Amino acid sequence: MPQHPSSHSPVVGKSLSRRRILKAGLGASVAGFVLPRIASPAWAKDYPALGTFPAGTNGSSVFVGCLVPLTGPYSASGKDMQLGFQLAVEHLNDGSRVTEQIPTLKKGKGVLGKKIEFQVADAETKPDPAVQAATRYVRDNKAIMLTGAVSSAVAVALEELGQREHTIVMIGNSSSNDTTGKDCQRYGFRSQDSAYMASKALAPVLAKELGKNRKTAYLTPDYTFGHTIYASMKKFTEEQGWTTAIQQVAPLGTTDFSSYLLNIANSGADVFVNLAFGADAVASTKQAQQFGVLPMMKYVVPDISQFQAKELGAEIMGGAYGSQPWWWTEQDAYPLAKFFVEDFEKTNHYKPRWGASEAYLQMLVWADAVERAGTFYPIAVIKALESGQKVNSIYGEVYYRAGDHQMVRPVPVMVGKKPNEMKGPEDFYRVVDLVPGEQVLPPLNETGCHLQAYET
Amino acid sequence: MPTLPQFLSQAFNGVALGSLLALISCGLTIILGTLGVLNFAHGAMFMVGAYVAFVVLAAFHSFAAALVLGALTLLVFGFALERGLIRLYYDRPHEDQILVTFGLAIMMIEAVHYAFGGESQRVPVPPWGRGIVHLHFFVYPLYRVEAIGLAAVILLAFYLLLYRTRIGLVVRAGIEDPLMVQLLGTNVRRAFMVVFSIGCMAAGIAGVIYAPLAAVIPNMGEQFLVQCFVVVVIGGLGSFPGAIVGGLVVGQILSLTTLFNPAYAQAAIYAVMTLVLIIRPRGLFGTMGRA
Amino acid sequence: MEGARRRLLGWLPELFMALALIVLPFLCYALLGSVDLLTRILIWGIFGLGFDLLFGFTGLLSFGQAAFYGCGGFVTAYLLTSGDLSNVWLAMAAGIASAAAFSVIVGILALRRVGIYFAMITLAFGELSYFLENSPLAHWTGGENGLPGVPAPRLHFGSFVYSFSGSWASYELIAAFFFVGFVFARFVVRSPVGDVLNAIRQNPLRTAALGHDVHAYKLSVFVLAAIFAGCAGALLGIFQGYMPPNAFTLETSGQLVIQTVIGGAGTLIGPTIGAAIWLVLRQVLQQLPAIGSLWLFILGLVFVLLVTFLPKGIVGATARLGSKFPFFELRPVVTDAFQGEKGTAQALLAPFSTAGTRGSSPAELALHVRNVSKAYGGIHAVEGVSLELPAGRFHAIIGPNGAGKSTFLRLLNCEERPDTGRILLNGIDITGIGVTRAHQHGLAKSFQINQLFPQFTVRQNLRIGALSRLRGPLRLDVFRPADGFSKIELMLAALLDRLGLTPSADVRVSSLPYGEKRRLELGLALASRPSVLLLDEPLAGLSPHEREGIKRLIQDVRGGRTIVLVEHDMDAVFQLAERITVLHEGRKLAEGTPQEISADRRVREAYLGGIAA
Repeated sequence: MPQHPSSHSPVVGKSLSRRRILKAGLGASVAGFVLPRIASPAWAKDYPALGTFPAGTNGSSVFVGCLVPLTGPYSASGKDMQLGFQLAVEHLNDGSRVTEQIPTLKKGKGVLGKKIEFQVADAETKPDPAVQAATRYVRDNKAIMLTGAVSSAVAVALEELGQREHTIVMIGNSSSNDTTGKDCQRYGFRSQDSAYMASKALAPVLAKELGKNRKTAYLTPDYTFGHTIYASMKKFTEEQGWTTAIQQVAPLGTTDFSSYLLNIANSGADVFVNLAFGADAVASTKQAQQFGVLPMMKYVVPDISQFQAKELGAEIMGGAYGSQPWWWTEQDAYPLAKFFVEDFEKTNHYKPRWGASEAYLQMLVWADAVERAGTFYPIAVIKALESGQKVNSIYGEVYYRAGDHQMVRPVPVMVGKKPNEMKGPEDFYRVVDLVPGEQVLPPLNETGCHLQAYET
Repeated sequence: MPTLPQFLSQAFNGVALGSLLALISCGLTIILGTLGVLNFAHGAMFMVGAYVAFVVLAAFHSFAAALVLGALTLLVFGFALERGLIRLYYDRPHEDQILVTFGLAIMMIEAVHYAFGGESQRVPVPPWGRGIVHLHFFVYPLYRVEAIGLAAVILLAFYLLLYRTRIGLVVRAGIEDPLMVQLLGTNVRRAFMVVFSIGCMAAGIAGVIYAPLAAVIPNMGEQFLVQCFVVVVIGGLGSFPGAIVGGLVVGQILSLTTLFNPAYAQAAIYAVMTLVLIIRPRGLFGTMGRA
Repeated sequence: MEGARRRLLGWLPELFMALALIVLPFLCYALLGSVDLLTRILIWGIFGLGFDLLFGFTGLLSFGQAAFYGCGGFVTAYLLTSGDLSNVWLAMAAGIASAAAFSVIVGILALRRVGIYFAMITLAFGELSYFLENSPLAHWTGGENGLPGVPAPRLHFGSFVYSFSGSWASYELIAAFFFVGFVFARFVVRSPVGDVLNAIRQNPLRTAALGHDVHAYKLSVFVLAAIFAGCAGALLGIFQGYMPPNAFTLETSGQLVIQTVIGGAGTLIGPTIGAAIWLVLRQVLQQLPAIGSLWLFILGLVFVLLVTFLPKGIVGATARLGSKFPFFELRPVVTDAFQGEKGTAQALLAPFSTAGTRGSSPAELALHVRNVSKAYGGIHAVEGVSLELPAGRFHAIIGPNGAGKSTFLRLLNCEERPDTGRILLNGIDITGIGVTRAHQHGLAKSFQINQLFPQFTVRQNLRIGALSRLRGPLRLDVFRPADGFSKIELMLAALLDRLGLTPSADVRVSSLPYGEKRRLELGLALASRPSVLLLDEPLAGLSPHEREGIKRLIQDVRGGRTIVLVEHDMDAVFQLAERITVLHEGRKLAEGTPQEISADRRVREAYLGGIAA
């Protein structure tokens, strides 16, 4: 039996030694990965059934479920996310200037040749409706992926569900450290920068711009997210030499912050760090200004809500430092972002906020991973996401850290523009720094994340 | 342990909070006392008032116009609602009345949500309200002090309406004994209509006053609704002076509890409401409650 | 036999329910692609079964049921996720037991009030539980995140294990619980307990005056509702594998109320139908792109329309249309008219005396009133009135308006406590023991203004009166049909015959003419076979012909009873009474035989204002 040393092409000939078969297999699989091609049924048979695979992928389309709040206090952020998600699906199914620039997504005919069908369910800003709808999407519609969430409680619940049902869950809006910390799941991936990352990126900028010997007063909303971001901010500002003068913890949904603001006003602090989100942030900021806290102290918002500047106005937000996962002026830094912003504004008549950008980004990153894996088989996709392969996106090059499924992406630090600095009706912020994700990731052994084995 | 200045500033804050609660609650209590309807849509009325303020201020930049138009809008809306819907429920059991206002609240909130979106609307503090007042040892926003004054003036107007006019007399008699008033030949149904409209108007005016202070979102009235129930229970169902005193009491409880442990502030008022209902259901001034 | 056939027909609802539970999931699967929606509807259905017993049948509107739903759910979920317990059935039992225990505490506090006050207290407790879940107990409940990872239960058959995970198995589990719950609820509704609860809803005052411990029954049904709620909450966590914090919110309690009203209160399946409408509409509306986030507005509109135009809910409206079918309405078993002789009837209706059992002497006074007084503020309604009635005496009390007669009778009936003085019934001190216990001792009153149960038939009304004597103030005999005491049924037939109401026996009281209602009022007081009977103006509002009928009736039923009669009709008084007491401005003015009284000048002065006849 003659054996030929070169084996990059499939073996031809009557006798097949084990090595030849192995090499043939290797060659074939390399070919399969390098050439993005429709996964033929032969490939599908190589993977066992898992979750909604292959039941949800046998037809000409695949289903993605989107869970966002459309009613209730976070509905504005939810709507923003929904629109970003829908634009991504459109771009993936029909091609766009953005997808043209990404090698795996160039062809613009869905994912692995299958059109993406979707539904959006109202999470009502509560975990239960989100879980109910997500369960339905998995069981009835055979969803191959779930995305969304505005609020960490919903994110954690959805991740648990995804883990149980073996369906990948892409979390776009949840900044609690626990989402990729003690609540991390093998099937869950988070794109938004965590509270830790935002705080670590923000603190040095604050020290540089505002000085080193500052005394801070914190207003913390009383739930998991509030407490984690307080812990992170306290740690990193104190590392920069700041001291924490007072912390006021307000229950979620407080409408009247006067009691807390009175205490803060009397605390002797000169920086007011507001950790509240959404409507709570708007109310507390307005009232802070009315109580004289704001002109008296510098204003820092480590987790700026999507529409906060629009809701409060540049008179109040001007001069305030903070971070949010994305602001549309980043399009100057990333060419793909420019296309995204233009397409989004054409359809929806306003500049996309970070809910939309995270939802959009995730869809494309997921699609890229599926294409690289060559299959929808969840574990293969997970491994593709974990591979560390950098993907060109609207945030530049991003990838997920394998150890906790946190996306490594730039963390913007920005300052609010005063009214006379604004060059347009939505020009609310100036991005001061785009901190690379690697610089601000928490050490893996400190996150408390223990990902399950693949096959559970 | 809070210091004396801290304590006093929170106590003052409680008065401010309480005066607004009193204004919203007096509408609720007269509707409850006269019609026997527990108006679950009262928080939504308050919210509509705030949105009217937003629209009027954006168009005319006049707070006075906002007040007037807010009051008028809710007056008309209350009138239409009473004629169109609430009227059908007078002979129905109390549960049905509670339920229809419950459903109405949902409809109002979602309609506003659809029209304006979910994000908070900007209602600026009027020019004469900007700035801070230095009261002895603590600072307080000027507008809030003025809001106390505004609330007091409007409550006074309601007082005059209820205690110095004929229609007010009918309303108060109707609270005491609706059957008797009817037997005396007075057009009780007309009085009901007036009461309901005025009650809604009170909530709407409170909404206008409150709009510059908080986030104007469709769900803003929900928290106030339950707080109003507490006020009305403590003050006495159907009692106008009860709503004022009850409002101040609840405002104080909320403010002072925050001094010690903010998380318990809301729970504290529920606990007090439960105690009042168990021990003395007619509250401080109520005449109902012989249950 | 007729009775057996009727009993069999009585099981039709259970049969239909079983069939529905078997067929519907296939329908649901065919239409919607999975049975999960139906499973969720049934979980709300279990929650609603208990709530309907509480609200639909007993009339207690609670806005805080979420407290027990959440309690059952979280205790179960916590025990299972913390590893303290691996047996799901045991954890469920613990959860339900906690919900029940919690409800005892809340019930004791909340049930001291009625109506709006009761609703507000339950609302407050609901909100307090939500707060507890969210803040102080967040370590155990997961706070705003809830408790994920709740496992599915398993059944072990030897070495074979059946795990209730997955859509169909979950449905089977929950449908089984629902069916058991439904059957149990039906037992309750058809039992004497169900009748008493229904009576409490219609006229709590009269129910208490007929010897039923209203407060104890209310507490019982409140706890029962909490048990159903806790069970539903536990099943929710198990079904979803996740226990959500919003199980405790006011919104959950509100949704339960909305669903019950939409479906129809008092029908047992009303809440399930309401849940079906709400959940199906919510799912379908959200999927329509034109509607999207407006789904909640439309649901609110649908709700308002349904409440306005279908006050009895969908099931109620359907029941009215198909009122031929006795499925969901309370229908008594009709027995034949009384055939026995007078002597048997007399024996059946004879007073149930407690005196004999205590061995007291026959010379004991049936009613001994010593110096009772009652003042309301500055008004002395009754002042220092005494009365001594030997057994079998027919005594009348008369006096001008405002003399205090009605108040005096209310004091005798223990509806109110006298400020001073004592009342002894057959030697037993009943001062201030309350109307229910007084009734249990053999005292009954016929009211001046009819206090009937308008939605019951005549027979059902009388049955309420009769049940307390046999069963005592509280008995939770839920497995017995309400008409299951043959002695009582026989006695009712005799009583109906005596009252002349046999033709109307199974007619709703609300459709009776006034004269028949008045006779029923009297009959109610007699149904428990009292030894002392108080009659408060029994002839009020009757025509002369009807008066004769009542007078004959009163004489008919005297047999051994002590009777106190308050009346304005002097002819009747002088005809019937052996002795008369005259009250004037709260005090006893005179007392004696009818002849003595009619001759008494003071009496005439009091009545005619001083003008001598």
